[in-house]
Amino acid sequence: MNAVRQEREVTAIAPLIVRDLVHCYDGSNVLSGIDLTVQPGSVLGLIGRNGAGKSTLIRAMLGLLQPLSGTATVFGEPALKLSDRSKERLAYVPQQPEALAWLTAQQMLDYVGRFYPRWDQSFATRTLERWQIPPNKLLAKLSPGERQRVDLIRALASQPELLVLDEPAAALDPVARRELLREIALRAGESGTTVLFSTHIVSDLERVASEVAFLHQGKLLMQCTVDATKERYGRLWIPGQISYAAPTQSLSRRRHDDGSLSLVVERDAQGQWPEAASLPGARVDALGLEDLFVEIAE
Amino acid sequence: MDASLLTVQPASPEPIYRQIVEQLRRLIAGGQLGAGDALPSVREVAGFHAINPMTVSRAYSLAEAEGLLERLRGKGMVVANTSRSSQSESRRLAMLEPSLQALMRQTRELELPAEQVLRRLTALLGEQP
Repeated sequence: MNAVRQEREVTAIAPLIVRDLVHCYDGSNVLSGIDLTVQPGSVLGLIGRNGAGKSTLIRAMLGLLQPLSGTATVFGEPALKLSDRSKERLAYVPQQPEALAWLTAQQMLDYVGRFYPRWDQSFATRTLERWQIPPNKLLAKLSPGERQRVDLIRALASQPELLVLDEPAAALDPVARRELLREIALRAGESGTTVLFSTHIVSDLERVASEVAFLHQGKLLMQCTVDATKERYGRLWIPGQISYAAPTQSLSRRRHDDGSLSLVVERDAQGQWPEAASLPGARVDALGLEDLFVEIAE
Repeated sequence: MDASLLTVQPASPEPIYRQIVEQLRRLIAGGQLGAGDALPSVREVAGFHAINPMTVSRAYSLAEAEGLLERLRGKGMVVANTSRSSQSESRRLAMLEPSLQALMRQTRELELPAEQVLRRLTALLGEQP
């Protein structure tokens, strides 16, 4: 264990980096110039609306698709030419289950386990039972949700240094989802596992993510820590008769029927809200992440 | 102390680390946690609530810096000796200030007379738990 930790410290380069990533399907841009770095030991939650390009971004980051332009590196290597050594260190669970459908869950886990030097067989066996997967049924005969759960077990049992999960919550009931979050949280905290996961369940992200990145219309709108996001942004409400004094800069702006204004505003470097917040009748309300994203994405 | 004594509301606009510090402050001020009481480990809290251990560490460090907790070698985090005595009534009252401000604002928005709100509050406070 010590040897593993030391080795990690030596290679403390960001496990995932993409620069100026551009990709399109059928001529329309899905990703238009994405820069994103996932630091070692961080848990990055990627959020965005359906069709925002989250899966495409993840696949491009891992070298599973060739972007139109831009670069992606995994553990410092070009993502499109990843060495076997690096592949052993990462685990990726796509939304759509992968191959090996002619095996049973038990056979598949026994089989792939041989390829991972740090495979945790007892975790695999235990979790298969806890997540109610029939071990001797062919994967092809399992439901899509069960298939994804088997994939999650495979990913976690390999004890990867980098864990990438695309919408993992979709396949899990609330109890299993909480167990997955617990695994993510504890592994990040104790083994220094780096995690990238996409979700549209914001409260999952708020529990375990150290950072959040918001993908909207092919661009990353913000990437910062979950705590800082909550502390930095708020909703400023200004009564109609003084709405002319509203700041011109805001992340979103909505005029209500009575003429009053709601703006999403940001504290400045000194932690102060825009001046308009202290006008008579104006007020700033705290904003949860979900509200923040809804306001900005609309 | 048990990790389940804390409640975590991930969707709240208040960061989780602040929620934890706030609850520790209240538990100590209210006497449910006494000087020398051991706190659950970071792992226990993070595991029970499925939250990032760094969040718990951050809460504990902040509580330590505020003098609520102290780190004892071999025992981990415990409630600091001085914390209860320093919590005078006025300090404890100050903790209610944000809730009172919110109540005041909502009362004004609803254009309710103060007497009625106070009467209801008095009744609530008089009720047996």
